[in-house]
Amino acid sequence: MKRFAGLSALAALLVLGGGNAGAVETKPIKVGAALDFTKVYTFLTAEYSQGQRDYIAYLNGRGGIKGVPVEIEVADTGNEPQRGIEAYERFKNGGAVLMDFLSTPVSRAVVPRALQDGMNVITAFHGRSDAADGTVFPTIFPMSPAYWSQATAIVKYIADKEGGNLKGKKIELVHIDSPFGKEPIPVFQALAEKLGYSFTEVGYPSPGNEQSAQWSQVRRDKPDWVVLWGAGGGQPNSLREALANGISPDKIVSVIWLSETDMGIVGADQAKGVARFEGVAFGKRPLIAAIEAEVVSKGKGAGDPKKVGGSYYNIGVATMALFAEGARIAIEKEGAPLTPAKLKKGLESIKNFTADGLMPAVTITPEDHQGGGQGRIATWDGTEWKPDTGWFAAYQDVVWDLVKKTSAEFKTAGK
Amino acid sequence: MYYRLAGVYRTSYAGDRAILKIPAERWQVAGLFAAALASPFLVSNLYLTGYLLPWLIWSMAALSLNLLVGWAGQIHLGYAAVMAIGAYSATHMVRAGVPFEAAIVLCGVLSAGIGLVFGFASLRVKGLYLAVSTLAMQYLVDWTINHVPAISGGSQATLQVPSFTVLWIPIDNDFARYYLALFGCAAVAVFLLNVRRTAFGRALAAVREKDYAAAVLGVNTFYFKLMAFWVSSMLGGMAGALLAFCYYRAVTPEQFHLDVSIQLLAMVIVGGLASVIGSFLGAALVFFAPIVLNNGAGALAGGLGLQIGGELRSQIPLILYGGLIAGFLLFEPLGLAKIWDNIRNYFLVWPFRHTRHS
Repeated sequence: MKRFAGLSALAALLVLGGGNAGAVETKPIKVGAALDFTKVYTFLTAEYSQGQRDYIAYLNGRGGIKGVPVEIEVADTGNEPQRGIEAYERFKNGGAVLMDFLSTPVSRAVVPRALQDGMNVITAFHGRSDAADGTVFPTIFPMSPAYWSQATAIVKYIADKEGGNLKGKKIELVHIDSPFGKEPIPVFQALAEKLGYSFTEVGYPSPGNEQSAQWSQVRRDKPDWVVLWGAGGGQPNSLREALANGISPDKIVSVIWLSETDMGIVGADQAKGVARFEGVAFGKRPLIAAIEAEVVSKGKGAGDPKKVGGSYYNIGVATMALFAEGARIAIEKEGAPLTPAKLKKGLESIKNFTADGLMPAVTITPEDHQGGGQGRIATWDGTEWKPDTGWFAAYQDVVWDLVKKTSAEFKTAGK
Repeated sequence: MYYRLAGVYRTSYAGDRAILKIPAERWQVAGLFAAALASPFLVSNLYLTGYLLPWLIWSMAALSLNLLVGWAGQIHLGYAAVMAIGAYSATHMVRAGVPFEAAIVLCGVLSAGIGLVFGFASLRVKGLYLAVSTLAMQYLVDWTINHVPAISGGSQATLQVPSFTVLWIPIDNDFARYYLALFGCAAVAVFLLNVRRTAFGRALAAVREKDYAAAVLGVNTFYFKLMAFWVSSMLGGMAGALLAFCYYRAVTPEQFHLDVSIQLLAMVIVGGLASVIGSFLGAALVFFAPIVLNNGAGALAGGLGLQIGGELRSQIPLILYGGLIAGFLLFEPLGLAKIWDNIRNYFLVWPFRHTRHS
């Protein structure tokens, strides 16, 4: 009978897995977060999820949203679309009004279902950039500057640093060779025509552990500015190679995925002056300080207290703060209980919301799910990220041309 | 008792050649098939679309791979690429207006054609060397999809699957998708149950056991190795197309990465080589275990009020999953199919024990 022991243990787990947590008397608002804790997005998921859960705890500590508590269910997808779809169906069955997958492959696999079911999905800083077009993607909410907006902001920053004139300057994009890495190329090319700089790009193979060949080419090209476009382990590697190839740190700008952890890997002092795009402020802003006082210092935090206020922690907080604002508006306008359709309307009514200075003023409309596309550039001073500019959005006409073009393709051709 | 047999008593050649030789097993399979047909009306939508439908399609893919790895003994580390060719070509064809019925056959032929090219490696190399040659296929196909926007679908690298019909029935809801997947899976299962009764199946077995011994016996190993690649790739391409059309509904490159190839191989090896039921069990283990372990860990952490950090909580299922696979292979190297077989053999003669080995 020994043979059956393993099987019966498996069966027991099946039963446990099937049954959901017991019913609560005041029916809470349910949010599902199926994230990638174990494969590709490990560099940010733990902190991001910690921020989300701490914010929910903070919200519930203050009485929830209009008296209704919020429940967040967290699961691991391992970046696998099939596990994401399973989580999607499970959350939907459990009555979730909003979901977050924080993985481009999983979000892409979920989008057709979410659009069909009218389920709200957050795709902050990942997923399809053209989901900014709320008329084509009614229930997909990036609520954050799309990668194209990040590219235009970076070019604007470089132009300002060069005194407003980019004629004859050379910008080189060093990117991971994947759809994500290649996404900003049309923006850099369109702006090169407009502003007169010369643009070159070089891609390194995913996941970016080996980049030396690419960087010796960058050295030969002698660019005036280098833009890094990668995520995870490839980023500190890119930065290390850039510095080793004699590129001045203050001529390097990165996409949003460069954090204090990466700087520690490269050497916090060596990387002084490196700039990155920022969609959510770094450090203990008023809201984060309040979370620390009301949740973390009481031992109710979801993770390591040292991570509170970090780049990715704050992004997690920002996503849930936006959700809470949308839910608050929805309940005020249409009353409890909250449904996905009501929440969608609530999210689309968010106006100039900054979460106490954590974010630029975000305004979401039924047409614009990007929320304005504002961000800023921050530089590393050896211990933390110091904002170098105010919140701004640049060349949104270029961005929206691309958004409209690709979303129209999605609508007509399903691409 | 349950099987109402106390040994093997077949009295005719026809009985000996039947696909399912024991009457009770015919009833079991008929019952299972009836349950599968009825399940859209029995189980909730969550279990239908989140569990049963993908299980059927993964089983179909595992069965197709098992023909190559289990029956013919040729290892393949790039099977997800075969499925990718099927999924992408079928999607592009249906988008271009080809009827789905034709597209699914044509995409199978295309997968088979490309799969066959890499099958030529099997004529010269075996075992680990063949694994590496087929790995090359995985990387080449991945690279091609990523670097040819006409295939991948442009800047977002996603292709939505168009609406389609099968024999004038629109496949636009979960029931229809489930029945289409069930039909595909059942067809491949019946095909493989039959393979072992044919000259083709016996030739594959001969090639698997020792290819030059098979050649000495007069089996054309050149032909049968390539046939194994051809047939398996064709079925795999069709499984890929069904995966795209019935389950994902959007095709992206990440759905067919190397991880998927390894998972498929794990389904076949853990399930049991050259076993039809093993492919189903293996697909169930590899597909369900991570999900069930994760949900179980979540429920345990929530139910017992254990303060386990999110990061650790997501690692525990991985540790258990690894242990589970290692454990099954340690205690029963012949796979889940052999465990099933042991149980069956025990009950076949119960309450007697004279055909038990131990």
